[in-house]
Amino acid sequence: MLSYLLAIAIITLIYLLLSFGLSLQYGSVGLINFGHVGFFAIGAYTSALLALSGVPLFASFCAAALAAGLTAWPIGLISLRLRDDYFAIVTLGFSETVRIIIVSEKWLTNGVQGVPGIPRLFSSLPVGFEAQLATAGLLLAVCTLAALAMWRIIKSPFGRIIQAIRDNEDALKALGKDPARFKIQVLMLSSALAGLAGAFYAHYITFIIPEQFVPLVTFYVWMAIIIGGVGRISGAIVGTVLLMVFLEGSRFLRDFIPGVTEVEMASLRIGVIGLLLILFTLYRPQGIMGDYTKR
Amino acid sequence: MNRTRREFLAGTAGAMALPLFAGSVFAQSGGSLRIGALNPVTGAGGPYGEGMQKMILAAAEAINAAGGAAGSKIEIFAEDTQTDPQAAVLAAKKLIEVNKVEAVLGTWSSGISLAVIPLTNDAGKILMHTSGAPALSVPPANEKGLGYRFQATNDRFGRAFAEIAEKEGFKRPATMAFNNASGIGNTEGFKKAWTAKGGEVVSEVVYEPKQASYRSELMQILAAQPDVIVTGSYVGDTTIILREWYQTGQPVKWIIPGWAANSDLVAALGADVVEGIISVDSISNEKAPSFAAYDKAYQAAMGKPGTDNVYAAMTWDMMTVLALAVEAAGSTDMAKVNEKMRDVANPEGTKVYTFAEGKEALKSGPINYEGASSVLDFDEHGDVTPDFSASFVEDGKINRRYVVKI
Repeated sequence: MLSYLLAIAIITLIYLLLSFGLSLQYGSVGLINFGHVGFFAIGAYTSALLALSGVPLFASFCAAALAAGLTAWPIGLISLRLRDDYFAIVTLGFSETVRIIIVSEKWLTNGVQGVPGIPRLFSSLPVGFEAQLATAGLLLAVCTLAALAMWRIIKSPFGRIIQAIRDNEDALKALGKDPARFKIQVLMLSSALAGLAGAFYAHYITFIIPEQFVPLVTFYVWMAIIIGGVGRISGAIVGTVLLMVFLEGSRFLRDFIPGVTEVEMASLRIGVIGLLLILFTLYRPQGIMGDYTKR
Repeated sequence: MNRTRREFLAGTAGAMALPLFAGSVFAQSGGSLRIGALNPVTGAGGPYGEGMQKMILAAAEAINAAGGAAGSKIEIFAEDTQTDPQAAVLAAKKLIEVNKVEAVLGTWSSGISLAVIPLTNDAGKILMHTSGAPALSVPPANEKGLGYRFQATNDRFGRAFAEIAEKEGFKRPATMAFNNASGIGNTEGFKKAWTAKGGEVVSEVVYEPKQASYRSELMQILAAQPDVIVTGSYVGDTTIILREWYQTGQPVKWIIPGWAANSDLVAALGADVVEGIISVDSISNEKAPSFAAYDKAYQAAMGKPGTDNVYAAMTWDMMTVLALAVEAAGSTDMAKVNEKMRDVANPEGTKVYTFAEGKEALKSGPINYEGASSVLDFDEHGDVTPDFSASFVEDGKINRRYVVKI
C-alpha cells in the first residue's frame, strides 16, 4: 500500500513541477501556454537518451532542463510579439511539432516504438520501496527548491515587473522596460522546470513513447492551476494534489459505488472534472487558494 | 478460533508429510489466489477491453467451480489501463501493492505492456499480454521470462501477409502503415518476410493518424504501379483510404489486417468498393472444445458470438493456463508456477481443453492445454504462434478461404 501511495506521490510531484511553471507563466506574466507538454517531452527524451548512452543521471537531468529551457528561447523570440490567444495557438502547435518530430526521427527516438529500459534513479538501492522513497524524497526537495525560487522571484523586483506585464503591458513599456525580455526569461525558466519534470517522469516510468506526450497532459496541468488558483504557489500545490487524488481515488470509489462499471467510471471521471471547471470559473474564478478579497 | 487451530494442525501435519505435499495442504486451508485483470476498458482499446475483462472473470468462475487451483480460489481485481501508459503504470502499482496480486493479465497495446512489465518483473509476478511489439520477447523487457504473449507478434502477422501475397501470385506489393508501433510492425514484418522470399516492395508510406484525407499518400503509392497494397491500419483510416482509392479507379488488390477489414468497413463503404479485399487475421482455435467453452461464456457475458473479440479468447486462456500451472506446481508461489507454464501448455501430455479436465488429467500425468485463442504453445520467449486466416470480401460478405500456418 505504502509503495502505491509513493507512486501516486511521485506522479503528483512531477505534475507539480509542471504546474509551477505554467502557473508562473500565466499567473505572473499572463502568458497562455497550451504547449507545456512539448517541453516536458523534450526533457524526458533528452535525459532518457543521454542516460541510455552512458551519461551519468545527474548530468542527463541537467541536460534535460537545459535543453527544454533553451528550446523555449527561440519560441519566445518568435512568438512573444503575438497577442495572448495567438501565443496559445503557437505553443499548442509547437508541442504537436515536438511530438511529430519524436515520432519521425526514428534513428534517435525509436519513433512510435518508444524507448524502453530507461535506467531508474537510485538503481543502487534495492528495487521497490527504498528506491521509490529516495526518488520521492529527491522530487520533494526539487519541488521545494522550485517553490522557494518562485516565491523569491515573485517577491523580487523582477517579480514585480512580470506582474506589471500581466496587469498593464503598455504602462510598463512607457516606463522604459522591455516586456518581451522578461517574458522570454519566464518562459525559459518554466520550460526548464518542465524539462526537469520530464526527466523525472522518464526515469520513473522507465519507458517513454510519443503517445504519452499528448496535449491532454498540458490541459490536466491547466485544470489543476485553475482549480487551485493561478499565480500562487499554494494554488498550484492544492490544485495538483486535488486533481491527482481525484484521478487516482476514483479507482477506489468504484469499489464503494455499486453498479458503476469501469466504462461508466471513466466517463464519470472526466465529466466531474469538467463540471468542477465550469463551477470554478463561474463562482470562484480565482481558484481555491486565490485572493479572497478580490472577485 | 477453532478454525485457526484446525488450520494449524493441518499445517503441522502437512509439514511433517512430504515437503511437496505441504504446500497444497496449506493452500487448501482456504487461501485465495489474487489475480489482476488490467485491460483497456476505455481509450483506443475500448472495443475489446470490456470483453477481455469479463472473460478473465468468467474463466476464474469456471476454475472456482472446479474447486480452484492448488486448493486456492481465484480472486480477481479489475482495473482499466485507459489505453494510457501512465494510467496503466499506476493501476499496475495498485494491483501489485494494494491488492497483492500474483499475476497481471490482459494488457493490450504494446506501449502499455512495455510500461507495465518492469513493475511485474521487479515484483516477481507474471505478466500476460496481447501486444505485438517484438521488444516484449527479449531482455530488458522479458529478462526474467515472466512475460507471456498470447497474440501473434507483428512480425508473425507480417510473415502471414507475405505467405498470402505469394500464394495469390502478387509480384509488386506496396505498403501503407498507420504511424504507430503496431501499424509499422505489420508492414515491416511483411517487408522482411517478402524480401527474404526474394521479392521487392515497390513503394512504402507511413501516414499520420486522424487525417481527413490520405490522397497524397495514396497517390505516392499508386504511382509505383503496385499490384497489391499491404496495410497496417485501423478501421477509420482504412475507410478513408479505400474510398479515395476507389475514386481513382486504378485497379489494385488489398491485404488488410482483420481488425481493420471487418464488417464495419464493409458497412461504411458498400459492397462495391470492398469487393475482393483480403482480410488477414490470427484465428482463434475455433474447432477446439476450449473455444466452445469460451464462446458460451462470451455469449452469456456480452450477448455476442465469441469470434467477435479475439483478445477475449486470449484472456480466457490466460486465466485458464495460469490456473493449470498453479495446479501443476501445487503452489501459488509464482517462481514455481512460472516453471510449470510450458509443462501444462506445450505438447507431450494429454490434450485438455478446460481447467476441470486439466485438473483431473494432472493427477495421472503431464497435460497439454489447447487454448481457445490458439493451440497455445509457448516458445522460449513466451510467445505463441497462432494460425492465420485469409478471408475475401465477396458481395459484401467476408468469407474465409483458407488458413495459413507459419
